[in-house]
Amino acid sequence: MAPHFGLPEFGFLLRGLQWTVLLTLVAFVGGCTAGLAVALLRTCGHKGVEWITRIYIGVFQGTPLLLQLFVVYYGLALTGLKLDAFVAVAIGFTVNASAFLGEIWRGAIQAVPRGQTEAAMALGLHYSSRMRDIVLPQAIRISLPATIGYLVQLIKGTSLAAIVGFIELARAGQIVSNQTFQPLLVFGVVGAMYFILCWPLSWWGSRMEARLALASQR
Amino acid sequence: MQDQILIEMKGVQKWYGGYQALRDVDLTVRKGEKIVLCGPSGSGKSTLIRCINRLEAIQQGSIVVNGHRLDDSIKAIDVVRQDVGMVFQSFNLFPHMTVLQNCTLAPIRARRASKSEAEAAARKYLERVRIGDQAEKYPAQLSGGQQQRVAIARALCMQPKVMLFDEPTSALDPEMVKEVLDTMIGLANDGMTMICVTHEMGFARQVADRVIFMADGQIIEEGAPDAFFRSPQHARTKQFLGEILAHH
Repeated sequence: MAPHFGLPEFGFLLRGLQWTVLLTLVAFVGGCTAGLAVALLRTCGHKGVEWITRIYIGVFQGTPLLLQLFVVYYGLALTGLKLDAFVAVAIGFTVNASAFLGEIWRGAIQAVPRGQTEAAMALGLHYSSRMRDIVLPQAIRISLPATIGYLVQLIKGTSLAAIVGFIELARAGQIVSNQTFQPLLVFGVVGAMYFILCWPLSWWGSRMEARLALASQR
Repeated sequence: MQDQILIEMKGVQKWYGGYQALRDVDLTVRKGEKIVLCGPSGSGKSTLIRCINRLEAIQQGSIVVNGHRLDDSIKAIDVVRQDVGMVFQSFNLFPHMTVLQNCTLAPIRARRASKSEAEAAARKYLERVRIGDQAEKYPAQLSGGQQQRVAIARALCMQPKVMLFDEPTSALDPEMVKEVLDTMIGLANDGMTMICVTHEMGFARQVADRVIFMADGQIIEEGAPDAFFRSPQHARTKQFLGEILAHH
């Protein structure tokens, strides 16, 4: 006799949700840090460095994330480096996020008018101050809608982590569904959880976008 | 020391790819001199002043600013930029900072001034360009003329030896041109060394010690404003003045 969907099952989904949130946070924070470095290198003005970063972005944007997760989890295991499933997917998602965020921010940095950098140079400000005080604050504002949009994709994308046996929300739903034979109910709850996580972010993102559009009209 | 040389350009050549933007330019600017650069668009006048603070690199020749030879080293560029202020056609104020922050950023970062020191100096210069009451506002809240006066104050806060003006009134509505020119005239009267790229010939007549005419990347002709406007020597200068003065 299969168990019905009850509190223990719901609790199991909640733990899955916890892992989804945790994985998203780690990947997003790591991806932001590495992505900033990627964006800065991609716009540094040194041809060779820009080229290497371009290839880095191209490789991670141009191959399936699933494949990248396989490589980190199974590929590194072959070289003798056996990683915990969470660590493996966290690395995979972080590297992938760094390429996507790096490219988003590269565009934003280049969207800041050239005159801003020139004025800063004419005032004798060095590269670090030009970036920190002038370019990045403006670039981050420009990129905020796209960055939030990427975060929403990332939350939903973490379900791919199930492929290497990591039990996050989607995988937890699959397990509970198999036990209870109530797929509609279980996946309905799972879907609602994703929605509660993602919808406010999407809403915030589109509001930022509308605001920026308004500000650029003035 | 009225004769001290502040800027000396010798045999300066600059290319953009295959296009030669500056051809064998020689220019000497003494302390306190006011120079107006004019010429048709694409004649290289903006490029010339942008070479002085190394916003553009040159391929041949030499530029010496206040005794420091400008080369590719970061140190040389730094030293020169400390001495040279610049005002742009499109203002280029930092939109995410208040007027006061626009003026204090460079002194704090590049001159290691304390915040209170920098703010006191900034308020003094903002008063001087008659915009002291707008210090807490953001650039977008100001008119074009006010923004350009802030840009002048921002440059002055670094206590430059020379001020470069790159068509400072070209992006302004006509009714705001005067307030910016008046500010520049005030600056000139205070003895600032200035190089102005501008088509404001009234301004040139009033403050310039020398007017320089450029075409095709070369200095074609130069002279004191009276002689320059009354009896230009070269055909190109005559043609240019004819075109530009017809509208005034």
